Amino acid sequence: MSAKARTRRNNALIDILLFLICFVLLTPLILLVANGFKTPAEMLVWPPTLFPKDPTLENFQKVFTETPLLRWIFNSLMFALLSTIAIVATSALAGYIIGKFPFRTINIIFVLFLTTAIIPFEVYMIPLYFQVKALGALNSIGGLLIGYLVMSFGIFLIRQNVIASIPDELLEAARIDGAGEFWIFWRVVLPLLKGPLAALAVLAFFQAWTTFAWPIIVLTRKTSFTIEVGLANFQSAYTVELSLLSAASAAVMVPSVLAFVLLRRHFVEGITASGMKE
Amino acid sequence: MATVEIKELRKSFGDVEALHGISFAISDGVFVALVGPSGCGKSTILRLIAGLEEITSGEVHIGDKVINEVEPKNRNIAMVFQNYALYPHLTVAQNMGFSLRLLKKSKPEIESAVQHAAEILGIDQLLDRLPKQLSGGQRQRVAMGRAIVRQPEVFLFDEPLSNLDAKLRVQMRAELKALHRRLGTTTIYVTHDQIEAMTMADIVVVMRDGNIEQVGAPLELYDSPVNQFVAGFIGSPAMNFFPVTTTQGSDEFVFSDGQSFSLPAHRELEGSYTIGLRPEHIRQGKGLQVEIEASEQTGSETLLQARLADQEMTILLRERFTAAPGEIHEFSVDPSMAKLFDTKSGARVGV
Repeated sequence: MSAKARTRRNNALIDILLFLICFVLLTPLILLVANGFKTPAEMLVWPPTLFPKDPTLENFQKVFTETPLLRWIFNSLMFALLSTIAIVATSALAGYIIGKFPFRTINIIFVLFLTTAIIPFEVYMIPLYFQVKALGALNSIGGLLIGYLVMSFGIFLIRQNVIASIPDELLEAARIDGAGEFWIFWRVVLPLLKGPLAALAVLAFFQAWTTFAWPIIVLTRKTSFTIEVGLANFQSAYTVELSLLSAASAAVMVPSVLAFVLLRRHFVEGITASGMKE
Repeated sequence: MATVEIKELRKSFGDVEALHGISFAISDGVFVALVGPSGCGKSTILRLIAGLEEITSGEVHIGDKVINEVEPKNRNIAMVFQNYALYPHLTVAQNMGFSLRLLKKSKPEIESAVQHAAEILGIDQLLDRLPKQLSGGQRQRVAMGRAIVRQPEVFLFDEPLSNLDAKLRVQMRAELKALHRRLGTTTIYVTHDQIEAMTMADIVVVMRDGNIEQVGAPLELYDSPVNQFVAGFIGSPAMNFFPVTTTQGSDEFVFSDGQSFSLPAHRELEGSYTIGLRPEHIRQGKGLQVEIEASEQTGSETLLQARLADQEMTILLRERFTAAPGEIHEFSVDPSMAKLFDTKSGARVGV
C-alpha cells in the first residue's frame, strides 16, 4: 500500500471514529428534542425511538399554556444579562486597578477576592439567604443578583490581561498627552480589554443562566422562577412529567444554542483564557 | 522652547536612593544626552522631568517655573518611549492627534497639525493604519509624530532607538538630529549607547550610580575625561587600562611585566597609577611588546585582540596588518594621547 493510500485510509478511519463519538454525544440531545414531540405512550416504548412515529405539538402547547415558561425565560434572561453587566463592570474596574496600581493594601484585598473562590457557595448560601430575606428581596431579580454581581475569577482574569497586555508606558503616554484617569480607563484600557471582557461576559452569562441552587432557595413564587428552577418544577416528589419536561427543555435550549452560536469565538476564548495575549 | 534646570535632584525608591542630588542646566534649544550603564538613574531623571514619578527632593525648572508639583499634562513636554507606547486601537492619525483632541482643539485644527507632522516625518501615507500594521521604524516615527504635534517646550526621549535594528538605528539617528535642527526644541535624550549620545547630542551627561560623572560636549568627553569611568565609557572600542608604577624624578611608568612607557609631563609623580590607552591611538612602531591573540580585518581597519603585561587589550589600526596568534609585535603611543588616572579614586591625573 502506498503512503498516500495509507494516509487516506487512516483519515477515513479517524473520520468514522469521530462521527461515532459525535453520534454518541448528540444522541441524548436528539432524544430530548424528539421526546418533546412524542405522545406519553410513545415516550415509554422500549427501545426508545429516535424519531417520533406520530409527532405532536401537544406537549409544547401544554407547556406554554399551563406554565409561565416564557416568563421564566424572561426572568433567566434578565438575571443573566444584569449579572453579566455587573460582573464585566466590576471585573474591568477592579482588575485594572489591582493590575496597574499595586500598593500593599490592594494586594491584600486581591488575595481576599481570590479566597472567595475557594469557599464553596453552599457554605454561605444560607446566611446569604437570611440577608436577602431581611432586605425583603426574596422572589426578585435584585435578590437573585446579590451573589452574582462580582466574580473573583473575572477580576483575576482581567488583572492578568491588564498586566500582560497593557504596558505602563501606554498609560503614562496618555497622562502626558493630557488624559485624566477616568478617560484613560474608558478610552484606552477598556478598548484594549475588549477580547477578555467579551470572554468574561460569555462565562458570566452562562454561569447565571445555568445556576440552580441559589435561585431555588430565593425564588418561591412560580412567576419569579428562572428557567432552571422552572424545569425542576416538572419533577415533583412522586411524579416526573417526562413529556412536558422534554418539551420545555427543548424550548429552553433554543436561546442557549443561539447564544452559543453567536458567541462561539468568545466562548472558546473564555475557556482558554489563561493563555492570554492575542 | 525653554530652558531646563535641575537642582539637587534626589529620588528614593523605598530605602534605596536612586539619584544622589543631581544638578545640571540645559540652555534653550540644546540637545542633551543622558548616558550611562543601566541602573545609573538616567531614565529616572527623565521620568521626574516628565512628572511620571514623584520627586523626593530638589527642584525641576522648565523655563522660569518650578514644575515639581505640576501635573505631567501641564508641563508642556512630550515624551517618546522605548516601546513607542502607541495606542493599539487607534489609527496613526488618531494616535498623533490624541493630545490635541484632549485639548479640545477643533477637528480641522487637529487634522492640519497631524498632517504637518506626518509630512515632516514622511509618514503621511500611513495615517489610516493601525500601529500593528507598521514596521518598527514606522512606529518609531509615529511616536515622534505624536510628540511633535503637541509643539512642546521640551522633548523627552527614553531610549527611543533601542528596539530598532542596527541599520535603521543609524538612519533614525540622523533623522532625529535633523528634526532637532529643524524644530530647535530643547531635547533630553536618554540612552545607554554612547555612540548615540556622541553622534546626536550637543551636550552629553555621563552618569553612574545616581551621580553625574561629567558633563560636556561629545569630543570634550572623549579628549579629556575627568575620570577612568568616563574614559572607559566614552569611545568605541573602549580604552585599555593598565596598572603602572613610577618613582619621583623619573618619566618612566613601569608595567607589571617590567616594560615601561615614558610620560615626561608626569615626572613629579610617585607610586601606583592606571594608564589609559585608546585602541585607536596605538600605532605600529618601537615601544611596547605586545602578544597578538586574534586579529579581525574589516578591510578599512584592523582590530587586534592582544595581551600586554598579562592583560587583555584592543588595538585598532587604520591600515592592514597581518599577524598570527602568539606573535609578538611592537607598538607605540603618542605620550600626549595617553591618560593617567589615580588608581584609588579613578580621577584623572593632571587636569
